[in-house]
Amino acid sequence: MLQGVVDLVDIEQLDKAIAEIEADLTTRLTDASGVDAVRTLETGVLGKKGTLGSLISSIKDYPPEQRNQVGRTINEAKVRVKNLFQRRIKELESAATSAEAASAAAFDPTLPGTRGPMGSVHPVTAVQWEIERAFERLGFTVEAGPEMEEEYNNFDALNIPATHPARDMQDTFWLKNGKVLRTHTSPVQYRTMRKFGAPLRAIVPGRCFRYETIDASHENTFHQVEGLLIDRDISIPNLIAMARMLLEEVMKREIELRVRPGFFPFVEPGIEIDMNCQICGGAGCATCGQSGWIEILPAGMVHPNVLRAGGIDPNEFTGFAFGLGLTRLAMMKYGIRDIRVLNSGDLRALVSPARLGGPIIAPRKKCCSQTS
Amino acid sequence: MLISLNWIRDYVDLPDDLDPSDLAERFTRTTAEVEEVHPIRVAARGLIVARVVSLADLPDARGLRLVSLDVGGGKTVEAVTAAPALHEGCSVVYAPPGSSVAAYGEIGTATVAGRTSTGMILPGDAMGIAMAASEAIFVSDAMEPGEQLCPEDFEDWVIEVDNKSMTHRPDLWGHYGIAREIAAIVGRPLKPYPVANLEELVSDGLGQVEIAIADANACPRYSALLFEGVPTEPAPLWMQLRLGHVGMRPITGLVDLTNYIMADLGQPMHAFDAEKVSRIEVDWAQDGERFTTLDGAERVLTREELMIKSAGHSVALAGVMGGLETEVSEGTTTLLLESANFSPVTIRKAAIRLGLRTDASARFEKSLDPAHTVLAIERFVELARPMYPDMRITSRLSDGFPKPLEPITVKLDPKHIARTIGRDVPTEEMERLLHPLGFEVVEAGEGVDVSVPSFRATGDVSIEDDVIEEIARYIGYNVIPPTMPRVSIRRFEPNALHELEQRTLEYFTTAHPFHEIQGYLWYDANWLSQMGIDPGPCVELANPAAEGLHLMRRSLVPGLLASVAKNRFHFPVLDIIELGSVFERGDPEDWEFRHVGLISARRGKRVEQELYADLKGAIEGWAWERFSRTVAFVPAPPTPDRPWEHPQRTAEITIDGQAVGRMSVIDLSLRRVIDEHLTSWGIAWAELHSSGLERLDRPAEPIDGIWEYPRIEMDFSVIVPSAMRYQQVAESLTAFDHPLLKRVRYVGCYEGDAIERDRRSLTFRTTVGDDARTLVDEDANAFRRAFEEYLQTCGYEMRR
Repeated sequence: MLQGVVDLVDIEQLDKAIAEIEADLTTRLTDASGVDAVRTLETGVLGKKGTLGSLISSIKDYPPEQRNQVGRTINEAKVRVKNLFQRRIKELESAATSAEAASAAAFDPTLPGTRGPMGSVHPVTAVQWEIERAFERLGFTVEAGPEMEEEYNNFDALNIPATHPARDMQDTFWLKNGKVLRTHTSPVQYRTMRKFGAPLRAIVPGRCFRYETIDASHENTFHQVEGLLIDRDISIPNLIAMARMLLEEVMKREIELRVRPGFFPFVEPGIEIDMNCQICGGAGCATCGQSGWIEILPAGMVHPNVLRAGGIDPNEFTGFAFGLGLTRLAMMKYGIRDIRVLNSGDLRALVSPARLGGPIIAPRKKCCSQTS
Repeated sequence: MLISLNWIRDYVDLPDDLDPSDLAERFTRTTAEVEEVHPIRVAARGLIVARVVSLADLPDARGLRLVSLDVGGGKTVEAVTAAPALHEGCSVVYAPPGSSVAAYGEIGTATVAGRTSTGMILPGDAMGIAMAASEAIFVSDAMEPGEQLCPEDFEDWVIEVDNKSMTHRPDLWGHYGIAREIAAIVGRPLKPYPVANLEELVSDGLGQVEIAIADANACPRYSALLFEGVPTEPAPLWMQLRLGHVGMRPITGLVDLTNYIMADLGQPMHAFDAEKVSRIEVDWAQDGERFTTLDGAERVLTREELMIKSAGHSVALAGVMGGLETEVSEGTTTLLLESANFSPVTIRKAAIRLGLRTDASARFEKSLDPAHTVLAIERFVELARPMYPDMRITSRLSDGFPKPLEPITVKLDPKHIARTIGRDVPTEEMERLLHPLGFEVVEAGEGVDVSVPSFRATGDVSIEDDVIEEIARYIGYNVIPPTMPRVSIRRFEPNALHELEQRTLEYFTTAHPFHEIQGYLWYDANWLSQMGIDPGPCVELANPAAEGLHLMRRSLVPGLLASVAKNRFHFPVLDIIELGSVFERGDPEDWEFRHVGLISARRGKRVEQELYADLKGAIEGWAWERFSRTVAFVPAPPTPDRPWEHPQRTAEITIDGQAVGRMSVIDLSLRRVIDEHLTSWGIAWAELHSSGLERLDRPAEPIDGIWEYPRIEMDFSVIVPSAMRYQQVAESLTAFDHPLLKRVRYVGCYEGDAIERDRRSLTFRTTVGDDARTLVDEDANAFRRAFEEYLQTCGYEMRR
């Protein structure tokens, strides 16, 4: 090793030292079995403290008249050494490639992807979210209201006085505190009008409760989406157009509508919008009671008394309201025949099997149909 | 309500080739929903009248009798029959051998109970009178034995209209009102209502029934007429058949007649024995008064019930049911016919309170047209005269009418009509559409005045929009082309709670594998008590869906537990979420809150720690995702009435020191009670109180930025007793300060072969750097020494 300042150096000695380094390197490279080992070796030779590296940093220590020659000698050696390293790396890499090629048969890109378990939202929520998105795109606010509601908000504010026979139509769960479990999402019409005034565009998805005997097609706990649009120039054809948009948005296909008169004290005129049954396509089945139609969207023009109760002047503003049967729509969309499963908490009935375990290989079709 | 198409044809000339299903569909689209259309197909051939000559019981065949029948032409036959209420001399509908009906095919001679039975006394249900079942149908004695019965009378079509869709339309509760709509739908005229002219029939010298009405609001009108000669003959067969087609059961001539008028005009009537009821007082019942109605039930009344009284004595429960004592019976010779109008509210309340909904009360509840009281009496006379020529009117019409209906005229603004319907409606068109429905249209300045017929003026039509509905439904809702609305843009304050709930659900179902369920708002008290759970003070339902479902839930956890118990049969791993309302008793007001419930359950022993950590991690991630904040889990004592909170392992979840929820694991004893199999499961749950959380803001997350000089990471592991809480170790690390220390993170925890029992190793990762220079080895070493020294001062053993 050359340390410190040297006056005169035997170039031959330097050449010899370099030759030794190269010979040693050649042996070691042959022994190196992997790219990493080569890299380590590279640091040992070319690094600042390496065998050749330290020679490079010593160039400045030679007498000025020798520096050119020494520098050239060492640099030429460096180029050769680098080539040695590169050649060996290439050799090793190509060997690795052929080894990989040899094991290609074991690499199976068709094995399923690995993933953690998946969660899911309730079918009613899934449809609810679709409806919310559809209406948000049209500038509607999404509102909510309490499920335990004041009697006044659920009935009186909606033009249903205590003596009105319509209170029969909605058999009500009463609480001992005098409140009710809301029988529809309509009390939120009143709340929303009070909150925002007109003009107004709002939908209210939510749970409703009716004192009803439960069977495959009746529940005492179900979802509606209330819709309310109040502005200066609102018509029944507007209402029908919105209903069509809403239903097609959810069903993702063209549907047929049937509009007929319906009676709800909080609208005038009141209508019922039916959709062709999505289970039988309109031919008649148990789900649609053989009629081919599904009652899906009771609606109408907001009754002036309701606008007044909400603090809106019916002479300036009119509007429409609807109460979509969200639960029923979700059943239509997912082909659920028994309404009871929705509140059962039974994951078999609520979650797609694809989310409940490993990849499904067979069968490709739905394997068990929901009956009863 | 059932509508007979034959009956409708009395009032509208319907085309012969009319398709009843098509008519029903048009009716649905224009007026009210038709639920079903079906034909009455009796296919009668050769039915005749027969008279019962004699009757004999068959001792060896219970319920069967041998009847000898005069079948005309001097011929008598014997038949075995099960028909009740037969008596000698009565005339019945008889199917002789060789005749046929759809229900039995050809009728022949058979051997029944060892006797030869020739033909049969036809039971009601075989001729389309379903409610009569196996009873014989009696016909007037005026009909001769052997008289052929017209096959066409038996054939009909029945349209069933949904009652709910016409609660607001009292006029539709009779065939004449339905006929008016059908006439308008098919564009043919409605015939005038056929009534007798009483003035021509009643002589001036006759007296009148006195009527005193105590409360004109409760009884706006009461009309009455006296008759002598009570009909003993059955109603004509055509009338019995029609009643049968619309779901009624023929009873006696008189009852059938009043029932017929009720189904015809919608006006209920009642006949009293005039010897017992001579004058009418309409007044409230006495509190505690006892009264026996026609059905034989004694009822205790209140001052809320309106009564018909005579000489201070109650004789009928107004609008609901007559009294037993004054009912028309065999000895009755004179009749007092009531046709009255009552307040719908009064009748509704009485019917509901007494649990006595009758055909009459159902109609009075709809608010009937007071004009119908007299019209019904006139109709009664019109129908009764040919049927019962012996009946004589023995009074002038009495008509107590203290509260006449105010005529209603509605002003229509053509601009409002146009904006509601979506197109202009010229006055001529309005006239064309409204006139058939009984409305009169008169131009008045810029708009029109529409006068409302009395049968629509009892609450149904009173404002402009009510009339617009009439116009719109007759233009046709399916005819006007739909168009999207033109609206004003405005801003709405965001609904932060709704947004929070949605994002929360989205987070737990996508970033974590929770499945959403929706449960009932109430606890199942029976299940809770089986679990030994006392739910504490709950808001309660006054009328629960079933016994034990009266307690409103205060927590989502019991429902989630029930779901785990249900699903554990099918899945070894369960992660379930529910968002919903819970209720708390309060003073003065009860409260409703929104909660998020989470439950994680795994089959396997010793899974609890991992389960708990997973759930905790999910909540930490949620808090960061929603609020850019860290949550703390502060050990808390369990709440006494929430046994699902573990005695030692319950934590309060806090954000910025505010409680936002609870978290715990289900202890072994509760797991065992819920389901023996759950003893080998771990169950962790958390409940977040979303109400109020929507007010938390979501500050921008702090970001380090790109550091100019490299940072290095160094891991340190300390060995601590297993009983020492992580929290304690972590807090002690917080106190360490060093100029190069940028961050300390928790990496993991190890217990196992490499270290002693009852001890665990906790690994932390430090990030070290200097923002002004590159660190040299010496810096790193100095930091390592300083930190290790600190850890040792804390009493931790270093793991090497």
